[in-house]
Amino acid sequence: MAAFTERMAPVLMLWLVMSLSGTWAVDKGNFKTCDQSAFCKRQRALKPGESPYRALLETMELTSTRLTLQLINDNNKVHLLLELYRLQGNITRVKINELKPLKPRYEVPDVLIREPSTEPLSLLSQDENGVVLSLGSESQRVIVSARPFRLDIMEGRDVLMSLNSRGLLAFEQLRMRKDTQVDPEGEKKEEADLANQAEKAKEEEEKVEDGMWEETFKSHSDSKPNGPSAISLDFSLPGVEHVYGIPEHADTLRLKTTDNGDPYRLYNLDVFQYELYNPMALYGAVPVMLAHNAQRTTGIFWLNAAETWVDISSNTAGKTVFGKMLDYVQGSSETPQTDVRWISESGIIDVFIMLGPTPKDVFSQYASLTGTQSFPPEAAVGYHQCRWNYNDQEDVTSVDAGFDEHNIPYDYIWLDIEHTDGKRYFTWDPHKFATPKEMLQGLMDKKRKMVAIVDPHIKVDSNYKIHNEIRNRAFYIKNKDGGDYEGWCWPGSAGYPDFTRADMRDWWASMFAYDQYEGSMENLYTWNDMNEPSVFNGPEVTMHKDAVHGAWEHRDVHNLYGFYVQMATAQGLIRRSGGVERPFVLTRAFFAGSQRYGAVWTGDNAAEWDHLKISIPMCLSLGLVGISFCGADVGGFFKSPSTELLVRWYQTGAYQPFFRAHAHLDTPRREPWLFGPENTALIREAVRQRYTLLPYWYQQFYHSHRTGQPIMRPLWVEYPQDPATFALDDEFLIGRDLLVHPVTEEGARGVTAYLPGKDEVWFDVHTFQKHNGAQNLYIPVTISSIPVFQRGGSIIPRKSRVRRSSTCMMQDPYTLYVALNPQRTAEGELYIDDGHTFNYEKKEFIHRKLFFANNMLSSENLAPDAQFSTRSWFERIVILGASKPSKVTLKTADGQESQLEFDFDASMSVLTLRKPSMNAGLDWNVMLQ
Amino acid sequence: FIMVSPDMRFHVIIAAVFWFGFVDSRKIKGISSSYKRFYRQRKSFLCIHGSKIIPFEQVNDDYCDCDDGSDEPGTSACPRGRFYCTNLGFRPHYIPSSRVNDGICDCCDASDEYNSHAHCQNTCWNLGQRERAYVAGQMRTLDEGLQLKQQLIEEGLLLWRENRELQQVAEDLQIKLEEHRRKKHKADRLKEQTLKGLQAGDSSLFKRQNSTVISTFQLLDSNNDGSITVDEVQAKVALVHDEERVLSEDEAVALLGGGDQMDLTKFQHTLWDILTKGDSVKVNYGPDWEFLFLNSQCYKLNVYGYTYTLCPFNQVTQKSTAGTEVSLGRWGMWAATPKHQYSQMVYENGEPCWQGGSRSTTVTLTCGTETALLSVKEPSKCQYIMDFQTPVACQPVLKQRGIHSEL
Repeated sequence: MAAFTERMAPVLMLWLVMSLSGTWAVDKGNFKTCDQSAFCKRQRALKPGESPYRALLETMELTSTRLTLQLINDNNKVHLLLELYRLQGNITRVKINELKPLKPRYEVPDVLIREPSTEPLSLLSQDENGVVLSLGSESQRVIVSARPFRLDIMEGRDVLMSLNSRGLLAFEQLRMRKDTQVDPEGEKKEEADLANQAEKAKEEEEKVEDGMWEETFKSHSDSKPNGPSAISLDFSLPGVEHVYGIPEHADTLRLKTTDNGDPYRLYNLDVFQYELYNPMALYGAVPVMLAHNAQRTTGIFWLNAAETWVDISSNTAGKTVFGKMLDYVQGSSETPQTDVRWISESGIIDVFIMLGPTPKDVFSQYASLTGTQSFPPEAAVGYHQCRWNYNDQEDVTSVDAGFDEHNIPYDYIWLDIEHTDGKRYFTWDPHKFATPKEMLQGLMDKKRKMVAIVDPHIKVDSNYKIHNEIRNRAFYIKNKDGGDYEGWCWPGSAGYPDFTRADMRDWWASMFAYDQYEGSMENLYTWNDMNEPSVFNGPEVTMHKDAVHGAWEHRDVHNLYGFYVQMATAQGLIRRSGGVERPFVLTRAFFAGSQRYGAVWTGDNAAEWDHLKISIPMCLSLGLVGISFCGADVGGFFKSPSTELLVRWYQTGAYQPFFRAHAHLDTPRREPWLFGPENTALIREAVRQRYTLLPYWYQQFYHSHRTGQPIMRPLWVEYPQDPATFALDDEFLIGRDLLVHPVTEEGARGVTAYLPGKDEVWFDVHTFQKHNGAQNLYIPVTISSIPVFQRGGSIIPRKSRVRRSSTCMMQDPYTLYVALNPQRTAEGELYIDDGHTFNYEKKEFIHRKLFFANNMLSSENLAPDAQFSTRSWFERIVILGASKPSKVTLKTADGQESQLEFDFDASMSVLTLRKPSMNAGLDWNVMLQ
Repeated sequence: FIMVSPDMRFHVIIAAVFWFGFVDSRKIKGISSSYKRFYRQRKSFLCIHGSKIIPFEQVNDDYCDCDDGSDEPGTSACPRGRFYCTNLGFRPHYIPSSRVNDGICDCCDASDEYNSHAHCQNTCWNLGQRERAYVAGQMRTLDEGLQLKQQLIEEGLLLWRENRELQQVAEDLQIKLEEHRRKKHKADRLKEQTLKGLQAGDSSLFKRQNSTVISTFQLLDSNNDGSITVDEVQAKVALVHDEERVLSEDEAVALLGGGDQMDLTKFQHTLWDILTKGDSVKVNYGPDWEFLFLNSQCYKLNVYGYTYTLCPFNQVTQKSTAGTEVSLGRWGMWAATPKHQYSQMVYENGEPCWQGGSRSTTVTLTCGTETALLSVKEPSKCQYIMDFQTPVACQPVLKQRGIHSEL
């Protein structure tokens, strides 16, 4: 919600007029290019060459868990400390910090779920040129070369990744500002410190560049009291042509080279009307990149929360032959190579190299560091109806009734900022939402829920409890002069709580208690918007970098702010129920690890076809770096969609993890029934398809929560050896068994979907027609078409009785769709629990494996130690690619056998078993004879 | 009766023979009496659209056999099925099958939740009573409303006739005044002012200044007794093409709306109004001119700190507590619905909106004994909807909706 209401104060109106300035696209001038960001410009001016850094091998210390040694910059004699760890699960961690920084440099806390477990490192060989360490049993080694310093990670004869091979390691050491030395006492102190003085002399030789000690962008000045502090490191990826990740950017799935433009930027920003297909920063940042080729997938996790830029180039020139240690490396210059360079404004170098080798391994490795997708309440996997704004309780009631009247299911209705009393979060407009509990009870009676927005900017108003408490507890972020930082946001002048403080987050969480958050009930959940943080009158619409969070500058923690806001909010929702209920919190800003706290959406998109298209690569990129619960505003936030676009967006959104329609305040209403009965029917059908698949979706969330595997997956994740899949981002998989190619072209008559898998078959889920894998399939489409295919060899549970909300469907029977592969086998899973509590952690769930082989379909318990019972049963089993049996026998756990009625459609080879009726939680098998 | 085990068959046949006379009344869940004929056979069931024949015990066995959903009228099994709520004491209606046993009470007779955790009360009787009371109230309102409407129509007709005659005279005058203006410039100042005031083309000047009504009135009212008489009209108003001629008494009486005199209020609402709104007679005031009385009236409503004013056939405005007034649209047209040609008014081209377009208001008219603005909403930005109640919206068509009394 980056736009403004018309009733804002005059100051805001002025800003608005400037930011709109007649055009629709983003005003790029509001956001920095690399050239306008002093550290990026300085760092990017360094060209590849011989690194000035040298490893001081004599300082090497090797314990069973880590190696440390010092690096020296031969130009300025500053010493760095390198730490190298081998972590459990095939991860190497490299940390580089100043050996003796003038003051501590920021190291990102709270993102790793725990201190990673290490595994022993052993020395394989050592001489004056470097050392070779073993990374465990798989012939993996890391070679530390001394002069110049570089690291090479090898497997057998292959270099998997090289660090500083292009000599771009840079570390701007903290230093005293020269013009502060006029202070006589300071001078005395420095004179006393001879060693320091020597370094000072060196330092003086360094050029003092513009922007090191002060930087101005537009009218905003950054005081930079700590001076330059940037870091940079390059990574070479031999044999790699495809890199992915580093969201959030409105760009293709496969990252592009950045030689001829700006690097990809990671700096959480509230970008008004963002443009597509460029590397500009957006609302969130996950500094994780995946590299993939047909042999291997690896990942780089750059744990730094400051403004970061990532350069990508692809060439073969950077490969240099070095030292006798690497003599055996083949210097074949035909091998493609991707070079990546990370530049951050402050903090330290702390990088996790995830060595795969499969995509799944990388996901597990990353999950072992930052955790997995939170397991949402099942209802949150349903459909969400949002708008800025539903005006009052009556409006909510009538929209709710509209869904019933038009027989369209939904689970959550959302309230944007206008529901509050003057943009004071945790309050309700006293006229429009006078009796919120009555409203929530009304929704509860229909087994539906609500989400209300709670943004982190707090109205400065001495009559506002939340503000007073934060101020009295000194929880606000401070400005550079020590006062409470104030910026403009929705409420006018606002303070920003310091969410980096654990005690602040604890207090914030306590505000969600039912007795604190008046008018809240257990079916009210939360949406955190504007948490980049958005500051309308700040530099780049965010906070001044010299604002102060205790010992740290905002500069150091910027990209973490939104992560912490969502963390504290999710904690609040858990706590209000005494730890029983799963929270649901949507956030716009995010960082590595945000997956642990809820869902993310792609921010303020627009009602344009290209925005519909980009929702696929944007969510795929997020899924690759752990954040599976992703969606885009269905219909597009800004502007008004054509009816065709709206229908297509529902059809696409129905097959993306987070399925929410949303619209800007200034757009006409677009509830699903406002476009004539035919379009209402099309939208109803799309939403119904979502609801029939809820058991499969929910199982995917469970799986993602357990393993960290993405839910919405690029095809290459499942077909890593098929280069035809590597750049696909107009189709995707849900889990591994459903392939979706939504129609995202205006007036489309057909789409061409690539069906992967040389020996595989795919079944059209609507017609049951079978298609071979490894082909580009042209699919004629009409306005009602949503091309979706089920993989031969899979079993997908559905619930065909679509009701008002997911909660109404809890006890409903299942239909199993068994799609046979050419070997006439199939397997799948079924996961059932209560849908909303943490009791699954206490083993209260049903998790079954379903498999078909030798003409027998069976259900087997995957979690024999778990306990849960369900009323759900199987009402139907549909076997695709079957032949006609003469008899079908069901055998249940108690040994009873019975004959099942069936129907066989010979034209499509579909066998439907009628009403087998066994309970979904029990053992059984069905024999076809 | 659904599951029939082989050893029971004998008893069942006996029972069937014995119950023969009762078979028709045997309860098939979820159907209305008019559909009972489809479910009479006891051996097999033909899906109502004819697609399939199934054994009768598969009717309402919680599995969907028929594409049309007709085999499962009483369960949630069929995606396109529907369940009939008998709702004895209230109105019967169909609900989608998906609402059967979903834990939410939909039928007031609780029949949809026969196998769920929901504790549904039979509320049909209460609802029926409330409905009957409501309908009775509506009927009373309608009766009263129609009576009031008749009065208003009669008043409106009178007004209309007056207005039309006035309009004709005024138009005549205007034409003459125009001619006069082109030809001559030496009319005396007083006269000129008066005459100008009577020109429709200059009406905007007068609309903006309320005092002009009064000052024009005062100019005409030579003796300042607060009413204009035939004499005064004859003294102050001259026909310009023939300045020397004094208006005849008949002409003066016509200008005064057919009477001997006219006070300020009447002046303002008749002569003045007609003269400053040249097009007012062209507005469609309904088949019986029943909406004419709304002209020049305004109705206010306060909602969330804003005062909304609807002046029918003129404009809609919104005033904030801070005092700034914003136009939400000027009279546009009647928006006919298929049922009723005069049920919605549209006001367009109000204050421009931030992101293009301008404010507009749609007013829905409902029948009531009083004329009042009932509600104002802004469902989308700059698009307002109002509910407006008035006797003239009453239509003698509202019939008592069937309250169910089927056994």
